[in-house]
Amino acid sequence: MAEPRSTLETQTPPAAEAFYRPGVAFDEMYARDGGVRNHYGVMHDRLTTLSAEDLAARQSTLERSFLLQGITFTVYGAEATTERIIPTDLIPRIIPSQEWDKVEAGLTQRLRALNMFLADIYGEQKILIDGLLPRELVLGAPSYRREMQHLHVPHKAYANVCGSDLIRQEDGQFAVLEDNLRVPSGVSYMLANRDASRRTFPGSFRAASVRPVERYPDLLLATLKSMAEEWRPDPQVVVLTPGVYNSAYYEHAYLARLMGVPLVEGRDLVIHENMVYMRMTTGLQRVDVIYRRVDDDYIDPLTFRRDSSLGVGGLFNAYRAGNVMICNAPGTGVADDKAVYAYVPEIIRYYLGEDAILPNIETFLCREPAQLSHVLDNLDKLVVKAVGASGGYGMLVGPHASRKEREDFAAALRADPANYIAQPTIQLSTAPCLIDGKVETRHVDLRPFILSGEKIVVTPGALTRVALRRGSLVVNSSQGGGSKDTWILAANTENQPEPEGASA
Amino acid sequence: MMLARVADSLYWVGRYVERAEHVSRLADVMLNATLDRSNAANQTARIALGALGDTVTASEQSLYDAARVLTLDLDDANSVRMTVASARENARQVRDQITTEMWERLNLLYLRVTGDAAGRAFDRGSSAFLHEVIADLHLFKGAADSTMSHGEGWRFLVLGMHIERAQLVARLLKAAFGEGDLGGNDHVTLMNVLRMGCALEPYLRTYTAEIEPRHILDFLLFGEEFPRSIRFSTARIEEHMAEIASHVAFAGRARPERLAGRLKARLEFTDLEELESTGAGALLTSVMGDCSRIHEAIYQTFVAYPLEMRLPA
Repeated sequence: MAEPRSTLETQTPPAAEAFYRPGVAFDEMYARDGGVRNHYGVMHDRLTTLSAEDLAARQSTLERSFLLQGITFTVYGAEATTERIIPTDLIPRIIPSQEWDKVEAGLTQRLRALNMFLADIYGEQKILIDGLLPRELVLGAPSYRREMQHLHVPHKAYANVCGSDLIRQEDGQFAVLEDNLRVPSGVSYMLANRDASRRTFPGSFRAASVRPVERYPDLLLATLKSMAEEWRPDPQVVVLTPGVYNSAYYEHAYLARLMGVPLVEGRDLVIHENMVYMRMTTGLQRVDVIYRRVDDDYIDPLTFRRDSSLGVGGLFNAYRAGNVMICNAPGTGVADDKAVYAYVPEIIRYYLGEDAILPNIETFLCREPAQLSHVLDNLDKLVVKAVGASGGYGMLVGPHASRKEREDFAAALRADPANYIAQPTIQLSTAPCLIDGKVETRHVDLRPFILSGEKIVVTPGALTRVALRRGSLVVNSSQGGGSKDTWILAANTENQPEPEGASA
Repeated sequence: MMLARVADSLYWVGRYVERAEHVSRLADVMLNATLDRSNAANQTARIALGALGDTVTASEQSLYDAARVLTLDLDDANSVRMTVASARENARQVRDQITTEMWERLNLLYLRVTGDAAGRAFDRGSSAFLHEVIADLHLFKGAADSTMSHGEGWRFLVLGMHIERAQLVARLLKAAFGEGDLGGNDHVTLMNVLRMGCALEPYLRTYTAEIEPRHILDFLLFGEEFPRSIRFSTARIEEHMAEIASHVAFAGRARPERLAGRLKARLEFTDLEELESTGAGALLTSVMGDCSRIHEAIYQTFVAYPLEMRLPA
């Protein structure tokens, strides 16, 4: 198949009334020559017909709707508590069909290989015996769970829900920046953003023929059920939340509501003779599958962290006894570790005998002395990340850091090199966003969601995260990032070969 | 069948919503009474504040402050602001169990009474502010009635409302007539008592404009059709309690549905003559006590039950 040409093709010569000039980074809407890319044609036309006031009014309608729905986090102040919405941009990001097909194939391949990797690591460890990865890099990772060794996981589906972070490089190709196999969040924003963008741009939505994301909750439920159907017909699924003070609580409640299953907290669960029950008004009811939104460390104070009050003591023993499924499985973090990440293309080749469809970003492992000295010499050009950290914490963006910050980080690097990796500073692609009533361009990434149970399913949609500060490359919501809807276009039916026997 | 914690939260949503409405109404009636230059203002304030367990204050200026505190105080767990916040917090804990229509209405009200603008809105027009709060609470109850399945969760919600309502009305009547002094209040004050019970118009349709303490007592205690009478509430408590309890294999001592049945029977078989000989205070006190016992028994039976009794065989 040819490269996804449609992304690079433009519909029109440089627009006279362009909203902005694309910079060094790949822009999702404008090509290098300033023309509008084909798949953005409808949206670009619509934006040119709307006044600044129209746009601002639509943005405020959207924000009010999020506030009303409670898609918020709470700021506790002295006088009053304030509800803030997660910043949301109303201009959807658009991805053409062919390009998505490649992303979907790449994500499916990647998760299949990572699940096989997990089954191997928690099984015979052939990949370590064959010396593909350093043994201590895997078995010494804090996210490795010895307790998982030799446990049967149905369908070898360890990471039932995966949210991978993709970025578009300067040449327009998607690459994987990070795999999230622990408790990835954000899918409720994908669905809420979709709901909002349909109402904001109904005409363009129809005209663009966007693939639907609305099946995510029932696909998630089917995935979760498939983990227990071997031994329990029609298993009871629950969502386990740390509680109402967790910043992702909205999402936990949202998914429970849309799946129609109970939302439980640790205090609702009781373990009796290695079975898990929930406390109902009428007594105890058996639980078969727990979609847990609580980190490994906190799910069972008897097995993992003893100071945790979020989980339930004895849960892991019930899991080990095969009486309950915990999804995602404990210990999946060993496959999304930032150091293991560097080996994923080889992991794919090892288990599947295929080349990775989606490339990695070049990664330097500071645990290797030669790579460490390269990193130290090029700190001003690199992004350095702590292996165990996430959410944009413990991270140095070299080109944007002060000399002092770089020196401090260099000291930390020398003190504990194995804890760091480095990558070149990547210009994430940019996309049109509404900033103070004007269409401007901001850096974005892409987080699609992949489900794996009996089979692997990629929902045709994603959360596009936006770095709202001009020029910033950090999209994490804890660091001033926002999000927007992502329209994956349906295949253009006019270009499809007609089925045999079909009449015109 | 539902999670015990969820049932508990829905029950508390019902209680807090009812309490918020009652306190709003009392604050509104009290403020409205201060506009009249009669003794009724002080009598009304004495009853309103007494019904909420507050001490009686004197001047009109301090009555405005008292109403403002009742509505907006952050330190008073029973202020309108804090009860709405508590209702919403409980609703958030069971967000997956209630409908979007209910949630959005309650969340909107929460944003209205807890936001920075709440104090200014109250000072600009306390009556309009309180009316909107009450109207929002009615919309919430309407949404609960017309969008949520009338199953176990809904019954816990309604149970909470009626237990709260029976106790609040009992306390209001006790503050107004509990001293056995049925003649001490003037006509305007008696009208205000009916207003505080949200009962003025239905009362007038039953008894005409002849407003007498014994009729008020009769109406708010024994009225069979009026939804804010204690008899009406105790009948609903018994109805929902019996339905919920029918699904539980009991092992405990506390039998909330029996307590509810006994309370309902007492309200059905006591009449005004009997009450006039013994005084209303004793009956009102026992209603409040029974409601507390039912409340406790619900918690022990459905929420914090001892696990040993419910372990699978």
